[in-house]
Amino acid sequence: MSKRVLIVDDALFMRSLLRDIFETAGWEVVAEAENGLQAIEAYNSHQPDLVTMDIVMPEMGGIDALKKIVASHPQAKVVMCSALGQESMVMEAIRAGACDFIVKPFRDQQVLDIVERTFS
Amino acid sequence: MDIEKYRTMYLHEAAEHLQKMTELLVAVEADPEESAGLAALFREAHSIKGMAATMGYEATARLAHHLEDGLALCRDRGCIDSEMIDHLLAGVDLLEGLLEDIRAQRPEREVESFVAHGAAPAPPVEVSSDELELVAAEAAEGNPASGLQLRLRLAETVAAPGPRWLVLLQRIGLLGEILQLQPSEEEILQGSSSRQLLVRLQTALSQDEIREQLKSYRELVAIDFPIELPAKGNKKVVPRNTVRVSTDLLDHFINLTGELITNRYQLQSAAAEKNWGDLDEGLGQLARLVKNLHHQVLQVRMMPLESVTNRLPRAVRDLCRSSGKQVSFEVEGGAIELDRAILEELADPLTHMIRNAIDHGIESCGKVQVKAWREQDQVLIQVTDNGRGIDPDMVRQRALQRNLISPAQAETIREYDLLQLICQPGFSTAQQVTTTSGRGVGMDVVKTAVERLGGVLLIDSAAGEGTRITMKLPLSMAIIRVLLIDCDQILMALPITRVLQTLEITQEEIQTSGKQLVISHQGELLPLLSLRRILKRTKGPARNPLPLVITELLGRRVGLVVDRLVGQREVFVQTLPAPFDRLRGNSGGTILGDGQIVFVLDLQSLLEKRRG
Repeated sequence: MSKRVLIVDDALFMRSLLRDIFETAGWEVVAEAENGLQAIEAYNSHQPDLVTMDIVMPEMGGIDALKKIVASHPQAKVVMCSALGQESMVMEAIRAGACDFIVKPFRDQQVLDIVERTFS
Repeated sequence: MDIEKYRTMYLHEAAEHLQKMTELLVAVEADPEESAGLAALFREAHSIKGMAATMGYEATARLAHHLEDGLALCRDRGCIDSEMIDHLLAGVDLLEGLLEDIRAQRPEREVESFVAHGAAPAPPVEVSSDELELVAAEAAEGNPASGLQLRLRLAETVAAPGPRWLVLLQRIGLLGEILQLQPSEEEILQGSSSRQLLVRLQTALSQDEIREQLKSYRELVAIDFPIELPAKGNKKVVPRNTVRVSTDLLDHFINLTGELITNRYQLQSAAAEKNWGDLDEGLGQLARLVKNLHHQVLQVRMMPLESVTNRLPRAVRDLCRSSGKQVSFEVEGGAIELDRAILEELADPLTHMIRNAIDHGIESCGKVQVKAWREQDQVLIQVTDNGRGIDPDMVRQRALQRNLISPAQAETIREYDLLQLICQPGFSTAQQVTTTSGRGVGMDVVKTAVERLGGVLLIDSAAGEGTRITMKLPLSMAIIRVLLIDCDQILMALPITRVLQTLEITQEEIQTSGKQLVISHQGELLPLLSLRRILKRTKGPARNPLPLVITELLGRRVGLVVDRLVGQREVFVQTLPAPFDRLRGNSGGTILGDGQIVFVLDLQSLLEKRRG
């Protein structure tokens, strides 16, 4: 069965890019969310195998959403999506339970390598 | 990854972010203590940076990063000043330029000088590595008792070494107990960007087993695993233009489709049973459904006027700053929706009118307003200012000088008609009028644009009370209401927005003025033009009464003589394919219910050709 992913990013552009990468690799994108609040809701209703989480978003940012998701689902696999210059936020996220991170700009294979190994 | 496919999407979304930034900057300037605005601005810049970096648009990413830094500084201070706003707006302009470069597929323009000379502080993108010199490994060789010495090196391409080490340490922690780290976890958290990590690990695993465990971490080059990425198969993707459609609208489509299917079965069974009553009722329903569908499909092409007027506060702000005037600006009816093709053409004329109002209408302080509302199939957009207004005597004088009216006309012309003359090409140029009348800059350009869209431009003004310019525009360019007319047994269409009135006149009402046939209509002498003559058809049989369409051509009201007024119809206008699109005088074609092809007349261009 294909793995199920939830994509969280406030930019449609980024969501589409990631969706394309995942779908090409045979994943199922179960939902997209534009902010942290939507992410938590989508996580609860879809229980995906993996979440890609943007950090800077309106309403609720990625780190807060990550903390809330991990608090209620300790087994959640969340990969952060960060931009250059967000090292300290990424480190905060990893310490809060994110299993890995991707730095924009990224290439398809980098994304897939990173998400695949969270299952190994 | 076939990044080309994302270019269109990038262009679209980046433009939205830039627009949002401009709006926010103007809003934040009005209320510098508004911290939510600053945070939102920061997010916009951040989004642009992320997208541009992903697309490999380095200059854009660099500049967005620079703006982001400036904004972060302001956000932390909790306020922003005008100089900073100027700088940020200039940055947004530059970003728009970069977007143009990308759209035109040329190299991005240079941004370094802007970044270097900017008011905003520009810390380097990546913190220069005060790389920790690794202390030579103490314990000479890995000793199973005192742990295994592991030396990892990250590839130079890894963007964020600190977080990367943290992720790796989580993994290594699963392989055994970490006894010692160089640099320490503390140093990593504080921003050490060392690309080497020395780990002493208490583990039962062999070196090969550890290598195996870390194999999937391709960013590690020190354990000798190639980082080369397998090339992806090249997928061919056809680029397409995208439109955003709300899910509500899609639901409507689905509902309508469902109803249409039901309707089809109703009609089928009514026809099979030859039940004319049911058939009639079914057809009535079909008409309603198709009308509804038409309406919904139009919605897809519709965008709010806001998408254009949102840019205006920025223009007003810049004009105020450069002219030293104080102008309050407001938009009413920004939610009114118009066809996107029309909106695109409206941006420049609107800016032009606002500029006129501020440059020449408003004296030192005042108010400019844009107001839009809908009247049946038309949208009216009005630009009003409370400035000095247009002096009719000045217009009369200038019109005489320019031979736009005869001395006799100058005596009799109504004030309202006089004002419309400022839209005549060549009525005035900026330098000549600004000081005296304060109006007329490029109004012919505005009028032409409005008429090309099938609209009408009207000017109202009272000296000392201000000026009001009204544009009457069709809602959509694709489906419009037309007046069907017959000329030498050819059916043709005129956009209804171009028709001021239709009437029939008797031969007795026709007078002559020199060589020109004219009629007196509402106290005004209108020249009569024969459509047959314009189209170079043979002269038709004499008719009495004569069908007439009153329309406005080249800034004048005229009576157009046709053979027959057939009626009004709503039609779907299609642009003609090349090379027919080069033919003057028609602005598209449509197919009527009976299969007949009808062309939509563009008299203006026909006459321009004749004159030329």
